Amino acid sequence: MEISGQHRFSAPRERVWELLLDPKILQQCLPGAEDLVEVGPEEYEARMKIGVAAIRGTYQGKVKIVDKDEPTSYRMVVEGKGPAGQISGDAKIDLADDGEGTLVNWTGNANVRGTLARVGGRVMQPAAKMIVGQFFTCLEGKAG
Amino acid sequence: MHVPITLSVNGVERRAEVEPRTLLVQYLRNDLALTGAHIGCETSQCGACTVLLDGEAVKSCTILAVQADGAAVTTIEGLAPVGTLHPVQQAFWDQHGLQCGYCTPGMVLSTVALLADDPNPSEESIRHGLEGNICRCTGYHNIVLSVQSAAKSLASGAIPEPVLSRDASLTR
Amino acid sequence: MNTSPFVYQRANSVDDAISLLQQHGDGAKLIAGGHSLLPIMKLRLAEPDMLIDIGRLPELQGTRREHGEIVIGALATHHQVATDQEIRSSIPLLADTASRVGDRQVRNRGTIGGALAHADAAADYPAAILALEATIVARGPGGARQIPAREFFLDFLTTALASDEILTEIRVPVPADGHGWSYQKLANQASGYAIVGVGAIAILDGSGTFDDVRVGVTGTAAVAWRAAATEAALRGQKPESGVVAAAADKVDDGVEALDDLHGSAEYRLRVTRGLTRRAILQAVARAQQRG
Ligand SMILES: Cc1cc2nc3c(=O)[nH]c(=O)nc-3n(C[C@H](O)[C@H](O)[C@H](O)COP(=O)(O)OP(=O)(O)OC[C@H]3O[C@@H](n4cnc5c(N)ncnc54)[C@H](O)[C@@H]3O)c2cc1C
Ligand code: FES
Ligand code: FES
Repeated sequence: MEISGQHRFSAPRERVWELLLDPKILQQCLPGAEDLVEVGPEEYEARMKIGVAAIRGTYQGKVKIVDKDEPTSYRMVVEGKGPAGQISGDAKIDLADDGEGTLVNWTGNANVRGTLARVGGRVMQPAAKMIVGQFFTCLEGKAG
Repeated sequence: MHVPITLSVNGVERRAEVEPRTLLVQYLRNDLALTGAHIGCETSQCGACTVLLDGEAVKSCTILAVQADGAAVTTIEGLAPVGTLHPVQQAFWDQHGLQCGYCTPGMVLSTVALLADDPNPSEESIRHGLEGNICRCTGYHNIVLSVQSAAKSLASGAIPEPVLSRDASLTR
Repeated sequence: MNTSPFVYQRANSVDDAISLLQQHGDGAKLIAGGHSLLPIMKLRLAEPDMLIDIGRLPELQGTRREHGEIVIGALATHHQVATDQEIRSSIPLLADTASRVGDRQVRNRGTIGGALAHADAAADYPAAILALEATIVARGPGGARQIPAREFFLDFLTTALASDEILTEIRVPVPADGHGWSYQKLANQASGYAIVGVGAIAILDGSGTFDDVRVGVTGTAAVAWRAAATEAALRGQKPESGVVAAAADKVDDGVEALDDLHGSAEYRLRVTRGLTRRAILQAVARAQQRG
């Protein structure tokens, strides 16, 4: 499953970069993140209650930040496991100046196994987009 | 926490205590040994698990046993007395409306409900009415013929064994 | 295939259900027909700790006519909506939409209230509910309120209902006598869900010009919408096929289509424009016949 999107911040690029990679902020802004612990350099483990309306589950996940090119781009390697299946994926985040603000473009590629795979895109794609949207809206708030 | 339920199944009152997540089809098959309610897909698509709930065709894999509390259920076993065939069953036999038979209990029960509503359906209404029952063998052609033949024999007075209707359901 | 364990509670009344929702918070879910909820619970996409069964509450049943509106109880099954005489004659768009949901067994169990509250992106009703400018009535701890269809569907599986509110009824204004209607649907072959569904109402004036035209679209995107640009392009126009086609091309103005295994975004948009054109033309033809 491939998904992508874009979000515009009014804050400058350096500030957005800082926020995106701050574990404290991530903990606050990742929807349903229950505990985010640093398990290695640029590597986090989290328990997340994720979902949209009726669809909800607790996922145990691992995130590793790689290929950092400050303040322009990085990749996140994600692994998650929950009641409805497993997800492993990879997201590329690109930051670009946009006037006073910053344009963040993201592309995610997820490999889904288990029952999640069977219901596939029909549920996951719009749900993922909503969750990412909530995340960015929260970040936007923190950017002040 | 188990929940008490009372159902009328094929005319017999049944009382049980079930775990809330027990599906109606599991209760029928596992507790009552009514294995004519087949499980095909488990995901509400195929209709092999179709039974009549207060006279209406429903997918028993998508109903909790607790939701059926107080209702009247008819499975394929209860359609006609042992050793006899309901006119719809007879029509499926006569018209070769089955091959492997996996979908057949569901097809027959959906047909009974369809004909109760519309005793003389067009081919289009038959196909529309049976959309919830998937058959991997027959290509549906002979199933449509079976329904048409059943409609004729019912119209000419073949006596359907009584299917429990809402009126016969238990009062809680 | 089973759901995860939960506690089952049958509500005695709407108020009882509301207080149960308040007591048990996020972990509790209402169940009506169960035909959206149980499938996702079996897949473990949802794991509520408690199900509150409202499936038999008499308060939520029945259909009545009231001041030019048809009022439909939340528990009306799709089969009841499709076959109710009053609905068929006064709001045929809704009856036809209901008759196209899933299959016979699904229509016997699934309810209009459940379908609207669940707000599946591929659900059929939202198109008709939007085109008919229906009102959704919800009751919560603070009493009842009315939500216009336009403000009801917010996002994927997300509606204006609060977590402790119950959808009690749907009020549908009866469109003018002689109105035309159409529901056009591209169904998923396996489940029957709408890959794209377009509902249209057309009202022509004495000279055959569009007096009013309303179009609702479901399936294409994460949430259903009213095709305002299409409607605006048609009002006051003659219903000629070129005019209709040009207006239909504006149907997805500003909408981001879903892109998944049932169809790419580009495909969905093409189908949406095509079905919008067909829906409007059929609604016009019906209005011309009846009017
Ligand atoms: C095989 C299959 C095919 C289907 N095909 C289609 C199709 O083609 N088109 C289509 O539109 N739908 C389709 N459906 C879905 C079907 O229409 C559902 O019945 C409907 O979406 C939900 O209604 P329900 O009464 O079963 O709700 P439930 O499953 O009981 O509930 C759904 C959700 O709504 C909430 N809810 C229910 N009632 C209320 C209420 N009164 N107030 C507040 N919240 C409430 C519940 O808490 C739950 O979150 C299909 C379903 C199946 C199983
Ligand atoms: S087993 Fe119930 S529909 Fe297939
Ligand atoms: S007879 Fe084999 S599935 Fe229908």
